[in-house]
Amino acid sequence: MGRLRRPSPDEVTPEVRDAFIKLKAERGNIPNMFRTIAHRPEIAATLLAHYRAVMGPGTVPIVLKEMLAVRVSRLNSCDY
Amino acid sequence: MAKQLGVGEQALKGLNDIESFSFPPDEKIALRFADAMTRAAGQVDDALFSELRSLFSEPQIIEIASVIGAFNYFNRVNNALRMDITLGDPETLMMRIAELLAMAPPDPAAACDLVIDLLLQGRWYGSVGIRAKEGERLVRLAHHGTEASAAQDAEGEAALRSRATRMGASELIVPIRFGAEPVGIIEIRNNHPGLIDDKDRALVERIAGLLAPHLAAHRPPA
Repeated sequence: MGRLRRPSPDEVTPEVRDAFIKLKAERGNIPNMFRTIAHRPEIAATLLAHYRAVMGPGTVPIVLKEMLAVRVSRLNSCDY
Repeated sequence: MAKQLGVGEQALKGLNDIESFSFPPDEKIALRFADAMTRAAGQVDDALFSELRSLFSEPQIIEIASVIGAFNYFNRVNNALRMDITLGDPETLMMRIAELLAMAPPDPAAACDLVIDLLLQGRWYGSVGIRAKEGERLVRLAHHGTEASAAQDAEGEAALRSRATRMGASELIVPIRFGAEPVGIIEIRNNHPGLIDDKDRALVERIAGLLAPHLAAHRPPA
């Protein structure tokens, strides 16, 4: 079990809820990290925006970015 | 997620030891930079950075460094807060639930509680409840969430009789049937539309199929 509770859809701000509903439509789920960080709505909203800017289409192939993310997560022993 | 976005099985294995796998030169240098930046960001050496600079533009290097920086942030937050892994892939979720039920505690309420917990690690619902049929009534076995279901007893019983899933913008009621026999329901409710779709329906119907023999085996004597 995670150390912090994940707020329910009723417990987050309307802005965060709308952003999460959009995320679900895009990728089929809402990662627990974002759901938990929603305890602080401003951080959740800007983190999600930053995540999209960093991991979305840009100047580097998305496949390479995913490989970098996996490599970093393995070095940090993060199974998440 | 990496697999869905096109990272091959071999490359995924190669990411355990980047020097042992023949990544294309630009990918290998970017991965070496990820290692150096993650292990000691202040000590990324000039030779490695020159190689990176010869293969990538300045905007690309910003993007690469941002990915590495962002995942170091995410990993640290997730590790320290022991964040549950998101069971986003339906097949992984089904496998975990099947494993759980194969060694489930004899008390069906405890088993259902664990099933709901797994489901909520992959999906964001206001409430999830599992109720079992006892005689002509539905009895609550497990319930997680903030949105009450107590007022909908009649709806649940109607869904059980109708044998069909009932789905709306903010509710999903799936009958659990063991062969032809109704043994319970799974009900999901949200006060906000947009969090239940056909994929949720398909997933919860599969979970109902896994739960059916379990609930049937633990029915109270008639």
